[in-house]
Amino acid sequence: MDRVGGICKDKMAPHERVGALMMGQTPDRVPFNPFAMGFSSLNCGYTIESFYNDPQKSLNAQLWTAEQYGYEPVLLLGYAAYGGWEFGGEIKMPTSEWEGAPSVARHPVETEEDVEKLELPDVKTAGIIPISMEFSKLCDEMGLPILPGTSGDAITVASNITDVSLFCRWLMKKPELAHRLLRLATDHILEAYQYWVDTFGAQKIMAGLYVTVAANQILSPKQFEEFVLPYQYELHEKILGMGVQAGFMHICGEQNLNLPLIQQLPLGSPQQPVILSFGHEVDLEKAAEMFPDNIIAGNVEPQIIQNGTPEQVYEVTRIAIEKGKKAPGGFFLMPGCELPPMAPGYNIHTMMKAVNDFGFYD
Amino acid sequence: MATDARKKEILKGLYDAVVDFDEDKVVELSNAVLAEDVDAYEAIMDGLAAGMEHVGDLYANQEYFVPEVLMCSDALYAGLDILRPHLSGKEADVKGQVVIGTVEGDVHDIGKNLVKMMFDVAGFEVHDLGRDVKLEKFVEEQMKTDSEIVALSALMTTSMLAMPKVIEMIKARNPDAMIMVGGAPISQEVADNYGADGYAPNAANAVQEAIQMISRLREMGKA
Repeated sequence: MDRVGGICKDKMAPHERVGALMMGQTPDRVPFNPFAMGFSSLNCGYTIESFYNDPQKSLNAQLWTAEQYGYEPVLLLGYAAYGGWEFGGEIKMPTSEWEGAPSVARHPVETEEDVEKLELPDVKTAGIIPISMEFSKLCDEMGLPILPGTSGDAITVASNITDVSLFCRWLMKKPELAHRLLRLATDHILEAYQYWVDTFGAQKIMAGLYVTVAANQILSPKQFEEFVLPYQYELHEKILGMGVQAGFMHICGEQNLNLPLIQQLPLGSPQQPVILSFGHEVDLEKAAEMFPDNIIAGNVEPQIIQNGTPEQVYEVTRIAIEKGKKAPGGFFLMPGCELPPMAPGYNIHTMMKAVNDFGFYD
Repeated sequence: MATDARKKEILKGLYDAVVDFDEDKVVELSNAVLAEDVDAYEAIMDGLAAGMEHVGDLYANQEYFVPEVLMCSDALYAGLDILRPHLSGKEADVKGQVVIGTVEGDVHDIGKNLVKMMFDVAGFEVHDLGRDVKLEKFVEEQMKTDSEIVALSALMTTSMLAMPKVIEMIKARNPDAMIMVGGAPISQEVADNYGADGYAPNAANAVQEAIQMISRLREMGKA
């Protein structure tokens, strides 16, 4: 795979590299995916909105941007505000200069009475699901792995169904309301996964599992134990139990206090590997030590990729690579969260340059 | 008229009730402040505000998290609603005016609301524009109210990019307005690069920073 010009010294193709990592083998170098969603669309001359409402443009943008920079594509059409629209509220697509992703414009639950009336939505027509399913079909036609666009994060779905401030107050004052929303969120996610499994077969699917609102910037480990762990355990157990080929779990933000609880979740096996992706707040050496059987991913700070100089980005990427390479379960270089859509392209190139300079295994 | 011992007991009770997010207790003690002729200003500053300052420390030390802080904030407002109408004379004067909001493209407002609360309790007149606020609206509101401070919040890496733009817009119309920025992706370095006059890593620091900025303005004879 040597090529003349550029900075590529690769010995494997992207799919071979990721395949080796997932099979527990050592690839030629650290794989790299910059979690580029809105960035991909802008990079290809599309709008950010088109990433979320035009499956073909979304696919093209992700594939072409990966090809341009030489990183490993991991294709997804989904969003963090999942739940509000899907349960009957309204979504606002990112159309202004300063918006990077969809946000909930009207929550389906605004009062305690609304919680009682709330029902599971039709899984085939709810919110973004038809768009995301179309995207998955395009991936399938190309023989690419399928990462369903439904959420895999009950607490975040529940806190998108209602306003997160109200949800936090219910955790304290009306826990039964919070539990009802969490139950509905969990049931919906499981139904959505079953829909994907029925459509494509479990073996083509990589499960997306996330814990976002559970970050310690918002919730305590005690609240994690009561309101996150039981539902997340059920999601992991049942979704992995459907026989999906692998999983990708994004552990968003500051989660240091939650890590011992996350250790208690079903996190795959050598035959069903689960990648654990961490924010910049969690040290990669600590992550590798606590999760030695998993592939560790992360964790360059997105804000630095957007605002930093190439020298700063090169240095933080080098540090992440050198820490991550020691992970016994393998390492996938990523930012700590979604790549900022407005990040300058030269900083993605700079990350790729650091991968070429420091990412090769002996 | 309460004795000194009773006054201390009430102030300590207000402090503890805010920290324990015991809204009923705050209401009971705030009514006791009025009934027993305790100074309302002291009750706010040495009881409610002092309690909330401790809550800020508990959050910083990861002993309290957002749900607890929101409950404490509810308890504090329950007391403020009762006590603030009874401030008199100089104590009732506003310490300054602040326009606050989460910038366009961003619907996250927990942090902004906590900063707003700290300004409220510190005696500022707060003009809260809410969330996803059009940039022009910050300029218009600052000009309309002649506020000394404009406080901008952003949680997203996309919306944070609106900050230098709105700072430029405000300064073009009123170079004396002081702008402070905050939010998860913001650091002192980012604030400096954006041309902000102040940055606060959390709600408690925001008020201290604002007071310092107003002092700087007054030293320059502009406020």
